Amino acid sequence: MSDHEMEKSTVVRVPETAAQSERKPLLTVKNLKQHFRVSRKFTVKAVDGVSFEIYPGETYGLVGESGSGKSTIGRSIIRLYEPTDGEVDFNGVKISGRLGAKELEHLRVKMQMIFQDPMASLNPRKKVMDIVAQGLDLHHMCKNAKEREERVYEILNMVGLSKEHANRYPHQFSGGQRQRIGIARALIMNPDLIIADEAISALDVSIQAQVVNLMKEVQESTGTAILFIAHDLSMVKYISDRIGVLHLGHLLESGTKDEIFSHPLHPYTKSLLSAIPLPNPEVEKSRRAVTYDYASSGIDYNKGTVHNVGGTHRVLGTDEEVARWLAE
Amino acid sequence: MADDRKKVLSIRDLSISFKTGAGDVNAIRGVKLDLYKGETIAIVGESGSGKSVTVKAIMGILASNGRVNSGSILFDYKRGEEEVHEDLLKLSQKEMRRRIDGKRIAMVFQDPMTSLDPTMTIGKQIMEGMLYHLKMSKEEAWKKAVNLLELVGITDAEKRMKNYPHQLSGGMRQRVVIACALACDPEVLICDEPTTALDVTIQAKILELIKEIQKKTNISVIYITHDLGVVAKVADYVMVMYAGRIVEKGTVDEIFYDPRHPYTWGLLSAMPDLDTDDDRLYTIPGTPPNLLYEVKGDAFAERNQFALNIDFRLLPPMFKVSDTHYAATWLLAEGAPKVEMPTELRERLRRMRREAGINE
Repeated sequence: MSDHEMEKSTVVRVPETAAQSERKPLLTVKNLKQHFRVSRKFTVKAVDGVSFEIYPGETYGLVGESGSGKSTIGRSIIRLYEPTDGEVDFNGVKISGRLGAKELEHLRVKMQMIFQDPMASLNPRKKVMDIVAQGLDLHHMCKNAKEREERVYEILNMVGLSKEHANRYPHQFSGGQRQRIGIARALIMNPDLIIADEAISALDVSIQAQVVNLMKEVQESTGTAILFIAHDLSMVKYISDRIGVLHLGHLLESGTKDEIFSHPLHPYTKSLLSAIPLPNPEVEKSRRAVTYDYASSGIDYNKGTVHNVGGTHRVLGTDEEVARWLAE
Repeated sequence: MADDRKKVLSIRDLSISFKTGAGDVNAIRGVKLDLYKGETIAIVGESGSGKSVTVKAIMGILASNGRVNSGSILFDYKRGEEEVHEDLLKLSQKEMRRRIDGKRIAMVFQDPMTSLDPTMTIGKQIMEGMLYHLKMSKEEAWKKAVNLLELVGITDAEKRMKNYPHQLSGGMRQRVVIACALACDPEVLICDEPTTALDVTIQAKILELIKEIQKKTNISVIYITHDLGVVAKVADYVMVMYAGRIVEKGTVDEIFYDPRHPYTWGLLSAMPDLDTDDDRLYTIPGTPPNLLYEVKGDAFAERNQFALNIDFRLLPPMFKVSDTHYAATWLLAEGAPKVEMPTELRERLRRMRREAGINE
């Protein structure tokens, strides 16, 4: 089997792999499937067998074009959807399949989500104080009103808002500030994992950088892991430790950001990376993006298996395909 | 620069304000811009800097509370053999609709879903302009629409003519919008953030498509964008806008390799760099000024770490750096203290020049 050949190529990087396996993953997703039945004859396979894991305190970036299933994965993990199949393990607790009250509580407290559109995800009729404290209220985590207030002030301070902001309504804030409220709401539960679903896409460029900086700071001080879902590759590269590339519901390639950005293997990843316009006119003018068309590429995602090509770098493909990509 | 460049559009001293409940917002405060035949200019800036308002003024589609205080937008075009020289701001809305919009100057908007009519087939939408402006027969228009769809890279054009927008993907829809815009062979194409709503892979294709079409038809293009990568890819000239004024303009090489205005420095520093691993992304401190109030001096002074005293008092004029490169900052005035751009940015620009193979 050529699997053995693959094995050989990994030998050099073994120490790192061993270190990886010693760390216990925070979240393990195994063969996650999310299908949506549109009609009797037609089912959309939004996510079709995706496996990955996230380690404590790291940022995992999921990238892919629209319709590749990146948002669906986030929503299936946090159980906004009922996954069709697959196993999800969070902090040693199985959170796929039927959930008991205890597991649900664990999931709802320790995993939090930040949404794309900050205006649409904040209740316009509630004050910031009540929006941020809602999680505390629901899970009865505060003994009295004073403690609740203090917790909210503390979190608001952490995301760069002041005490006075607590008594305002969402419409009184700018887009960047609203997203800070969204982050505060997620942080107040002291989560182990935050799912940020296109959390910066709706913001102005200059604000994006501020919010990304904030998320990085917050991660450093609280040690929470982040699943960062986005289509802007340059931001993903900046914030993530490891990256997964999705296309048509399949995880094509995953690895550390250096592995993905410096040594992309899969043709789709290559085309995705080449499509980022470089802010360097003389170089950019003469450069053309690598095109990739699934239908004519001759690659069948369903036939491929996951190959480890060194370190944490994994790629989906048949044996021959992977051998060919490695040779290129 | 060659002298045979033909001026198509020239804006002088444009000033626009919007009446709001809180008072007049001076969105555009004296913009000067020249567009030549077959060339591409890009207008960059943060949201609220007035880039969209400028091009909306060209099209005559300002919001109803907008008012043009002063200025002129001169547009040169050929009507048959006759050379026409017209101030677009003097035309009535009706005349603009009948003679200019869609026919001479066409626009591609940001979101292809909201700029197409969901109840009309795409073929009809592409033909609409030709039937109205060029008085073509239906058969002729149909034929041309099919050609246009092929030009923008849609396969099976004949069949696609009968599709509705919802049957197409986002990238396809934007191609249809471009086909609509090109239907009447306009002299000027305005693209307002044409790829912001699209994925990177499709963005690259759309930008390359517009470039190819420009080569074939020799139209002039105005891009509005905040993505400097897009600017680097498509533009010949760049205008940097801030708080309703152009603060720096020049060829794309001059702006990227030799920026002079502190705001341009900030913009270039804030680009996420794919090659280096900085700990933090650079952000320009502060927020843009509220244009409800009169801005004294340089609008950027408040956020400018290099600001001189004079910046808070007097509006800087456009200082000449080269024949094509101008910047509005007192740092370029005679006798101003010598201020260098931040070291990180200088390093980065040096690296960019090296990659491009330009000698220093």
